[in-house]
Amino acid sequence: MATQADPAVAQGTRPLPDDALKTLLHDLKLARHFDERMEALYRQGRLPGAFYSGRGQEGTHVGVAAALRPTDSLFPTHRDLTAQLTKGLDLNRVMAQYWGRIDGYLRGRDGNSHIGDWYGNRTFAVMSHLPIAYPVAVGAALAYQRAGDGRVALAICGDGATSNGRWYEAINTSAVHGLPVVWVVNNNQFAYSTPNPLEFKVPTVAERAVAFGIPGIRVDGGDVLAVYEAAREAIERARAGGGPSLIESVSLRWRGHAGHDPAKYMAPELLEEYMTHHDPVKNFEEWLLSEGVLTKDDIDDVQTQVEAEFTAAYDFAQASPFPEPGDALKGGWVEDGYWTGEPGRGGGTESQ
Amino acid sequence: MAGAAQKVEGAAAGHGAEPRGKRSDEGEATYLIAIAEALWEEMERDERVYMLGEDIGGYGGAFKVTEGFIDRFGSDRVMDTPIAEETIVGMSVGSAMEGLRPVAEFQYADFMSSGFDEITTVLSRYHYRAGVPLPVVLRGPSGGGVRASSFHSINPEPWFAYAGGIKIMCPAFPADAKGLLKSAVRDDNPSLFLEHKWLYRRIKEVVPTDPDFLVPIGKAEVKREGTDVSIVTYGAMVHKALEAAESLAAKGVSAEVVDLRTVYPLDEETILRSIEKTSRALVLYESYRFLGIGTEVAAVIAEKAFEHLDAPVVRLAPPNLPVPFSPPLEDAFLPQVADIEAAVDRLAAW
Repeated sequence: MATQADPAVAQGTRPLPDDALKTLLHDLKLARHFDERMEALYRQGRLPGAFYSGRGQEGTHVGVAAALRPTDSLFPTHRDLTAQLTKGLDLNRVMAQYWGRIDGYLRGRDGNSHIGDWYGNRTFAVMSHLPIAYPVAVGAALAYQRAGDGRVALAICGDGATSNGRWYEAINTSAVHGLPVVWVVNNNQFAYSTPNPLEFKVPTVAERAVAFGIPGIRVDGGDVLAVYEAAREAIERARAGGGPSLIESVSLRWRGHAGHDPAKYMAPELLEEYMTHHDPVKNFEEWLLSEGVLTKDDIDDVQTQVEAEFTAAYDFAQASPFPEPGDALKGGWVEDGYWTGEPGRGGGTESQ
Repeated sequence: MAGAAQKVEGAAAGHGAEPRGKRSDEGEATYLIAIAEALWEEMERDERVYMLGEDIGGYGGAFKVTEGFIDRFGSDRVMDTPIAEETIVGMSVGSAMEGLRPVAEFQYADFMSSGFDEITTVLSRYHYRAGVPLPVVLRGPSGGGVRASSFHSINPEPWFAYAGGIKIMCPAFPADAKGLLKSAVRDDNPSLFLEHKWLYRRIKEVVPTDPDFLVPIGKAEVKREGTDVSIVTYGAMVHKALEAAESLAAKGVSAEVVDLRTVYPLDEETILRSIEKTSRALVLYESYRFLGIGTEVAAVIAEKAFEHLDAPVVRLAPPNLPVPFSPPLEDAFLPQVADIEAAVDRLAAW
């Protein structure tokens, strides 16, 4: 996002120009509305497959993705679909993926938030074995370093994935080679049902950065601007050749691991505290009002807009055709030509 | 085509900077030198090609395949990594997504299991799921027979053939090794290139010098013509089969030796053409008997050549057990020339 021209930004009273702040609000509210509606559809039996709620964590998802340039790459997870929307994915095609349609980014080959759009918005198609994308982000960052093109990779995982060996391998390797990559840990305090104290001994994830010899910072995921600022700083450091950084963004996963999980293991007081004091959408709305950036009517207009976007995307998905059954056998090898041979049917990820 | 195995006396441990300079006066290259030549030529041809792995730079790799490369191509293109196999594979994927063509070395193919998830979950599935080609080559020394025991003797090809989406080559001869590796580097799909360590310095032959010499992936080759029995095999076992065929010929039994060269995808056509001719099949393989590569070969023959068979398909392969160390144990574990001859004798008697 451009920050130079706006006088308020120049004077240091605001971190971003008004239009960029409004975009952030739009993305947060779209994330929240999408999450609520999709969970409802899942519970009504109208959404096939799975749904992973990211409610309560939108500040992290939107904040880090908003700090990236279009040519930077994002390596996301199943829970931060909103980060991909902020990066630029088309909601219509996202919804088509949920319903297994040909217009989904992966043409029905994968479902729900296991989505990505490499050739369009430079997002890696999500996989379940977290943090499986961390080592892949190292490779992308290696290519940027070698090309000297100033691009940056940013990878997200949850607190649970920090217990996996690949988390250490990838961060360590990136640190050794000073690669342009930002490591984001979306600490929502639960790995499925397992709380932080059963995942790691140290109090925070951020302090583990010391072991890799890289900067580590802990931010409040309920404050989208704090997240944005932390991400922006780490991204710019990486872009300038300063190597990787680790960002721990703390929030709470308000819902269960997936649509089937009532999360009875979560203390109600904890949930209440976070919904009251660390709601990234509500907090940002209050800040925008107090700063005079937007009025209550403006905020209502944004809400109306995202609801309309959701409805239109839902309708788009329902109208999109299913893939041909025979497509299941195509595309095992590049030379099959499946992904390059049928432009106009889904697609958008055609090879170079 | 190539003849029987030849021992290279006094082969040096390393080959120095320019691998082509390490051929014999007759222009013969060992299996190891042929592989080094392939890598060198592809690095020269295409600057997007780079290598990564453990100790491949100044040290030149555990088997010295990449010795001298860092002096020519620099540490950016001959990249030493930490001992982090999942990340070596992941880095290969990520850099391939951004247009590079990585060739990752594993010190032993055994350690591919340390990168298993990135290989089977990311590398093998990403193109089908998301349409991004991954021109990645993973290479490493596989196989037994060198007293390297349980953790340095594995034949991992069935693990990764099962994953799908990865082309798997197990060459038996220097020229095939060179031509297949060059094809793998140029292929837009992921490849697993398994170098049988028993062959590295044991086998040599005249290898083409044309920098565009390629051996097609997915094509088997008959290494010895015969009429009575087909021995379908690959890797080091090809040489055992050729040795057995030689002594069988003296007894009046004509064995044909089919070298798969690529084990996935399988060249069914060449296999079936041989069975049509001989009507008898011995499937010889060094991967484990249960669900090893030969299991699939035997199934293909049974399913598609039933009307041509005069005898049941016979398999000869090690048990699904760790490769043992002590010489009498390992020799009993791996199929030997005498075992092959005995199996062919039984088949020929049908």
